[in-house]
Amino acid sequence: MIAELFILALLVLLAGTIFPLIAASLDRRSVRTISLSCTIVASILLGILSLVNLLSGDSVSFTLYQPIPAFSLSFVIDRLASFFLLIIAVVSACVALYFTEYIEHMDGESRRNLLCSCTSLFILAMVLVIASANTLAFFLFWELMAASSFLLVTYEYTHDETRKAGTFYFIMTQLSSLFVLLGIILLYTQTGSFAISPVYGGMTYLAILAFLALFAGFSIKAGIIPFHKWLPYAHPASPTPISALMSGVMLKIAVYGLVRFLLDVFTPDLWWGVLILAAGTASAVLGIIYALKEHDVKGMLAYSSIENIGIIFTGIGLSVIFTASNLPGLATLSLLGALFHSLNHAMFKSLLFLTAGSVVSATHTRDIEHMGGLAHRMPVTSALFFVGAVSIAALPPLNGFASELLIFMSFFSSVALVDPLFKVLLFICLALFALTSALSSACFVKAFGSIFLALPRSPESAVAEEVPRAMLIGPGILAAACILLGVCALQIFAFVGFAVPLPDMLLISLLLVSMAVLTYAVLYFTASREVRVSETWGCGTLSQQASAEYSGHGFSEPLDIIFSAIYRTRTTSERTFHDQKNCIFKEGTGEIRLLKVFEEYLYRPIAQQSMSITKSVSRFQNGCLDTYLLYVFVTIIALIIFLGWFA
Amino acid sequence: MNTDFVLYLAINTLVVIAVSPLFVSLIKKVKAWTQGRQGPSVFQTYFTLIKLLKKEVIYSPNSSRIMRVTPLVTMAAILVAALFVPLVFVPEPVGGMGNIILFMSLLALARFFMALAGLDAGSSFGGMGSSREMSISSIIEPTTIVVFAALAFVFKTLNIFDMFAISVSTGSPSLSTLILIGISLFIIIIVETSRIPVDNPETHLELTMIHEGMILEQSGRNLALMELSAAVKMTALMALLLNLIVPFGITTSLTLAGILIALILLVVKCSILTGIIGIFESSMAKKRFFQLPSLFAMAFFFSTLIIIIEVFS
Repeated sequence: MIAELFILALLVLLAGTIFPLIAASLDRRSVRTISLSCTIVASILLGILSLVNLLSGDSVSFTLYQPIPAFSLSFVIDRLASFFLLIIAVVSACVALYFTEYIEHMDGESRRNLLCSCTSLFILAMVLVIASANTLAFFLFWELMAASSFLLVTYEYTHDETRKAGTFYFIMTQLSSLFVLLGIILLYTQTGSFAISPVYGGMTYLAILAFLALFAGFSIKAGIIPFHKWLPYAHPASPTPISALMSGVMLKIAVYGLVRFLLDVFTPDLWWGVLILAAGTASAVLGIIYALKEHDVKGMLAYSSIENIGIIFTGIGLSVIFTASNLPGLATLSLLGALFHSLNHAMFKSLLFLTAGSVVSATHTRDIEHMGGLAHRMPVTSALFFVGAVSIAALPPLNGFASELLIFMSFFSSVALVDPLFKVLLFICLALFALTSALSSACFVKAFGSIFLALPRSPESAVAEEVPRAMLIGPGILAAACILLGVCALQIFAFVGFAVPLPDMLLISLLLVSMAVLTYAVLYFTASREVRVSETWGCGTLSQQASAEYSGHGFSEPLDIIFSAIYRTRTTSERTFHDQKNCIFKEGTGEIRLLKVFEEYLYRPIAQQSMSITKSVSRFQNGCLDTYLLYVFVTIIALIIFLGWFA
Repeated sequence: MNTDFVLYLAINTLVVIAVSPLFVSLIKKVKAWTQGRQGPSVFQTYFTLIKLLKKEVIYSPNSSRIMRVTPLVTMAAILVAALFVPLVFVPEPVGGMGNIILFMSLLALARFFMALAGLDAGSSFGGMGSSREMSISSIIEPTTIVVFAALAFVFKTLNIFDMFAISVSTGSPSLSTLILIGISLFIIIIVETSRIPVDNPETHLELTMIHEGMILEQSGRNLALMELSAAVKMTALMALLLNLIVPFGITTSLTLAGILIALILLVVKCSILTGIIGIFESSMAKKRFFQLPSLFAMAFFFSTLIIIIEVFS
């Protein structure tokens, strides 16, 4: 039943991929709508099957195709896989719904059909990665996912920025694949098979190496600092629904990979947990600190994704530490926190990306300094973005809070650990984790305030209009999911069979509502009901001007100064010299810009090194036939000597 | 949910609303005395609130729905947060009520709305207040969480109700831990309630204003709600400190006499604490904004010290 449903969903997705390719030259709305509808239908099918499987807890395995005995395209859908399939299903359905309208406002005529096709293919690849039963199939679909997402990122390839982002993304994603492949090969040397099965007989050096390779591969894909740099490039460059898919779902595939291999293949040591925890904490703190400084709305969301992935890795790291310290209860708690945060992040981040996309398409700018006042002009979008902002700021009673609370709880329970040094380490991570959560609150006050509140700061945002209905329903579903997952968190966990020490958020929400109602009632009967809309005191100015408002830059200025050690700037001065006739006879450019620490001190040196190595290697390739003959000759001689020597 | 708990909800909310304005005036009175003035009556805050309720509400034409719902949400969030800190009577916790992280997050929820309302009207004062408030609250957060972690460490529970029950029944932990917790919580009260040296609650000067800047656009009944919620928040935080350090008086059984005694003792204890806060405020000037991180570092140091003492002892 599950297997048939799954194959049906795959076929529908495949239809969604192939159909627009057949009608590639037809610039019709119907072609794209049919393709995206296929995605929606497939997502609904996937959603149903994963929910059924999640609740029943069965593990369904089946083989689709077996070309040779050593390799088969076989799938396993167990509880972990269904959980991640559910994430894909919900986000893809909402994104595709949003896309049906959004794509009609994009440039590119019939090229947009290919975009639909690639979107379908991308979702298909992600579904297959999750369901893969062996490492080889896993890698195959991992590559398919990387390739299709690259095509999606470079959709607007005519822009220089996009081409640069695309190249950057391509290199990083291939690096990730390379590490994953290395890990898989190393695992093969240990187990002798491509099955995702436990490595027995202790953790040898090669097994540890395999873990490190896989960890690096998944970290690059997930955007863990210092491998994060592709996110703030790729997200602003790609079409918004694609950003939502990549941030909401694709990063989670990397999380899935890590969790899957940690649970099913390795027996982790304590230091693995510390490594994951450290990477997670660093990403969380630095991610949000960079997000605060970012004024491109999609760039900011990208950095905030880095932060959230950091939080998820923190949970996984804690879980590994607890497992290695023989505390299975706590390990489950923190792993549940990490997984629940993956689900929640998928919901609120795709919600935020989609609503930000609506805002960008209404105002034609990505710079939050040029927005403002949109709460009046786009009331529904602003309400939806608000739900996302409250969720991501980890405020009760929405879902971001519920999952971060689980991770906080696991931190607090680390009292149970034996080693006092570990306790102190965990308390330091706890403090940083709290800082992250508070900073994300500040970051989204700034984002919501600059985008939606006060006066419009550009003519475009003054005439912005609400987006069509399909672009509201998709995010609307996600917003509803955010509220539901937050308010009913305890009940949902109980329903799937986990007892977690969460407070009853339903009770708290009821209390909040009843307190608000009571306050309103008391005021209604005791206070004056007069309301006047009038100019409030503006420090002596006659009427308020947008230019006098507190801008996003101004808002984050105090935090900029406090964290000035992290935001280092590079200053170059600019001079122009004029002669008496006001002609420029000498000029020099200069700038003050944020130092891109990782790019300038890590990425570029490595890139330069590899460039110089390739340059010296490429000297062998001089395109002259004689040289190549010489190479062949030398090789043969060397072979003969080698064989003569050893054989 | 049993009847005791429902009664608790009613009693705690009524008590906290009734006594909170008193402490706001008391601090003002103490400060007036130290400056050689007579100061306003101790009931002045009640009069001000009643006066505000009678006034009309003015909204700026730029402001959105955020401005209109913020007072209600702030009040509701802070009242629910106040329910997490039993003032006179400690019931059995129900449904995770009393979770100390949730307590902190409810205060953060109120702050989130307040900061957005500050930005809503587009006035630079509001924006300045919001920006500073969010910055300060962000950098105090690690300290707060470590203090709470230290509390959880000392009392072996995350629930404020259980902490109070333990400190009432078995007495407090060692003196050194107590002093350190006291200092850290005191600094958190100062920061969370926007008092000197972090913020000056009495002026509307742009140099000092943080909390006042954010609520500058509020008027009439909305302003009354903001003022009252700030007072309730202060009382809840003071009660958290007092009931951990000097728990005597607070009752665990629901009797009229017990509650009355507890109420009187609460007012006395809180009055003494407000006196201390008043003298503390009078004895120092407001710190420069960017010197605040060092103050927070001190609180962080004390709370980490508790943990280290507890871990290695």
